[in-house]
Amino acid sequence: MDFKAIYDHLRAVDAPGLIEADEPRLPDKETKDKGRSGMPFVRIEPASFVDFLLVCRDDPKLTFELLVDLTASDPAADDENLWVLVQLLSVKHKHRLAVKAYLPKSSASIPSATAVYRAAQWHERECGEMYGITFVGHPDPRNILLPDDWVGYPMRKDYEFPKEYHGVSCE
Amino acid sequence: MVEQTQEYKPSIQPSEEGRVLPSGEREFFFDVSTSDLEVNMGPQHPATHGVMRVLLRTDGELVTGAQPHLGYLHRGAEKIGENVEWLQYLPYTDRYDYLAAMNNNLGYSLAVEALMPGLEIPRRATLIRTICAELNRIASHLIAFGTYGLDIGAFTPFFYAFREREWIQALFEKICGARLTYSYIRIGGVFNEAPPGWLKEVEHFCDVFEEKWKEYYDLLALNHIFVMRTKDIGVITPEMAYDFGLTGPMLRGSGIDFDLRRDMPYMDYTEIWEAGAYQIPLGSGEKGTLGDCWDRFDVRVKEMIESIKIVRYCLGVIEPGPVLGDVPKVIKVPPGEAYVGIENPRGELGHYSHSDGGKVAVRCRVRGPSFVNLAVLEDLMPGTLLADSVAIIGSTDIVVGETDR
Amino acid sequence: MTPPLALTALPQEQVATTPNPGGNALLDLVNKIGPPEWIPDWIVALHAVGAGVGILIGIVSLIAMYSVWMERKVSGHMQCRLGPMYAGGWHGWAQTIADGVKLLMKEDMIPTGADRVLFIIAPGIVLASIFGALVAFPISYDFYFARMDLGIFMILALGSTTTIGVIMAGWASNSKWSLYGAMREAAQVIAYEIPLGLALMAPLITLGTFSLLDASALQSDWFGMKWAIFTNPANLPAFVIFWIAALAETKRAPFDLPEAESELVAGFLTEYSGIRWSFFFMEEYAAMFLMSVIAAMFWFGGFESPATWALRSAGVEGGIFFGAVCFVTLVIKAFAGVFLMMWLRWTLPRVRIDQVMTMGYKYLTPLALLCVLIAAVSEAVKSLLF
Repeated sequence: MDFKAIYDHLRAVDAPGLIEADEPRLPDKETKDKGRSGMPFVRIEPASFVDFLLVCRDDPKLTFELLVDLTASDPAADDENLWVLVQLLSVKHKHRLAVKAYLPKSSASIPSATAVYRAAQWHERECGEMYGITFVGHPDPRNILLPDDWVGYPMRKDYEFPKEYHGVSCE
Repeated sequence: MVEQTQEYKPSIQPSEEGRVLPSGEREFFFDVSTSDLEVNMGPQHPATHGVMRVLLRTDGELVTGAQPHLGYLHRGAEKIGENVEWLQYLPYTDRYDYLAAMNNNLGYSLAVEALMPGLEIPRRATLIRTICAELNRIASHLIAFGTYGLDIGAFTPFFYAFREREWIQALFEKICGARLTYSYIRIGGVFNEAPPGWLKEVEHFCDVFEEKWKEYYDLLALNHIFVMRTKDIGVITPEMAYDFGLTGPMLRGSGIDFDLRRDMPYMDYTEIWEAGAYQIPLGSGEKGTLGDCWDRFDVRVKEMIESIKIVRYCLGVIEPGPVLGDVPKVIKVPPGEAYVGIENPRGELGHYSHSDGGKVAVRCRVRGPSFVNLAVLEDLMPGTLLADSVAIIGSTDIVVGETDR
Repeated sequence: MTPPLALTALPQEQVATTPNPGGNALLDLVNKIGPPEWIPDWIVALHAVGAGVGILIGIVSLIAMYSVWMERKVSGHMQCRLGPMYAGGWHGWAQTIADGVKLLMKEDMIPTGADRVLFIIAPGIVLASIFGALVAFPISYDFYFARMDLGIFMILALGSTTTIGVIMAGWASNSKWSLYGAMREAAQVIAYEIPLGLALMAPLITLGTFSLLDASALQSDWFGMKWAIFTNPANLPAFVIFWIAALAETKRAPFDLPEAESELVAGFLTEYSGIRWSFFFMEEYAAMFLMSVIAAMFWFGGFESPATWALRSAGVEGGIFFGAVCFVTLVIKAFAGVFLMMWLRWTLPRVRIDQVMTMGYKYLTPLALLCVLIAAVSEAVKSLLF
């Protein structure tokens, strides 16, 4: 299925938390829209993240068996949201779906997807340490790539690099 | 919250023989209590293929729990991607999966090109990209083949594998001047035209390699001791493979017929597939259980010969022409977001690029297959012997540069 | 040949007059020359023994050194490499000497948590026991350091004492990897001593002697080709079993589990460096040579070959030249065995510990017993028929 059909099907089964489809568009001079290229997304409510993934995995027409990627993004330092991006892949139907959820920076928290896809486990640990997102219900929320005592969330745009680490100057 | 459909299994299972006390000690029926031995496999250990650490809990030779610890090679590649220009990031892509740098270049270039709708990639460039990517897949699988032999204890196949890999590296050196970190496949095509006679040399390599391949297969893959060591070890069932999001040879080793080159085609792989140039080797459970270490190894070794077929097809249809599309010196990428996953030797290498129209990326995410494939260790290792755990780590074929990025 | 001493009960006065009935060729030689009267006998004996030990250590070190060089060349050529090429000029013949000097110069490191005493004496025990076993190794028919009628027993007994040193090293290192190596070594050696000894019974039954020299002399017929392996149907399978067990005893691949470098870093050797490490290394090669000597002595005719047969029929027996031919024959046979071990090492992957145990206890031990039975029955049949 292409993205349009997937989106229509998600609407038809009334997938929980589905907000909108975000598709690439051409630039428009009148609205001063710079346009967007690339690939389409669906945007969902963070609160129903897990329910949405369950529908994606178990619906016979979608069957997204693989959670290929789960990551986060900080679009700008002055943006008030963090994004959580999930790439799903169906081996049976050979299609992909990109899912996006906006989390406010003030309380960046989202249910953990580990109950649906265990592949999410390490990705969520990485997002947690890099962006400071709390994945509620994660079985093992330790740092994975960074040391356990690391301060701050390095991938955020407003992150300031530390001047020293354990007495070693980094300048 | 919804109910959990799948219960989270702790990696350390209580033993059947005795009661496990809360302190972790094990009580036996007779009057002795012993506790498990915790061993650090790594960060400096020959079997971890780099600086990775696996914390093993062992009861004698029996491994009762395993916990991988990563991050020793973390260099912040994604953060760097947000601070350098689009083309400047290309050399960094070489560094995560340093055994398949061409494929990394390709993945990144395709991800950026997906944001540049007007950009035309010349056909010759596409074919040279395919040749390079497939040659690099062979080189990478040769390492997987050789080091797996080392893990199991056979030294000599490693050197044979390196001899052929050396040849591939010499070919790459001729085309781009580098032997490991190529930065050859660029946004918009490839860096330069192949030197005269290069394609002939590649063909010669294919001829020789096809003969040698059979010998290697007989020497290692069908060796009785090797089969004894790898069959029925580290069995990944198809359900488990889906659950852990495995891709590449790890997925195909479990018998799941899925290859991004055929099923989510990029570049000219559809054409090659339709011409019937290659097949997708799958794990068959021929020597033991479906999805065991031998199956994964077998898939990798057989993929080499399929790559040779792809290279041969490309050599047959390649024609003179330009090799680089119309890209400016300083690339400005139109705003947008794209995720492109390609079939790396180790699985799906995903690049998520997000541009706001400027000279640098807003987000440059790398989805490394090794990182994801490694997560399965925690479940595979308990209940095996110490030597098996080495075989299992080897069969995941990780590159630590990629798990840690 | 001298009849086996244990079987001939000598009169008491004769024992007293025969100098050193145990047999040390050097002592015999000195006694023949006749040392000055004023030197006490025990000093003469001590010096003879000392000289013998010196010669033995020299020979064994040389053999171990050149086994190392050979291993590097063999593995190199098997792996499309050249191996050492520079040190000494011709094909890097001096490479091992250079390495030995380097190892002597290296800093002597003992880990902080190690048991210092055990850590220091472990390599000594390992090397001493293998040298002790090699005492029974004869240079030729007339030149030996200990002529023992139960020579093979002594070799097996002392040869397996190295295990104690290895376990000691593994324990004293205070490293978990070393401990694993030591435990594996213990399990493996216990499992493989039995088939090793049992497989050796087959040629012992065929030849009817425990003495290395007698065993060799008994195989001198058929133009020097009446090797035990040809004279009894059980001896070929017994040799295969012996060889597998010998590989396990000497910790050679595919049974190099105690030091399995991809699993246990370096097993019991993990914490050793410098000259102490090289003691273990030397032991490995000496043990390889020793096992090959046993195989050559009891299966492949020992000193006997068409060359010795030709010399003997030409009337040249005894003397330095004949002894040299004997020695060269034995060394060639032994090095063929060493080469076979290297060949196997660079070809085969390593087996797993449970497979090692299964093979030792479930297959090799019963098969070795069967070999003993077949050997005994066929010897009985032979003695009835001929």
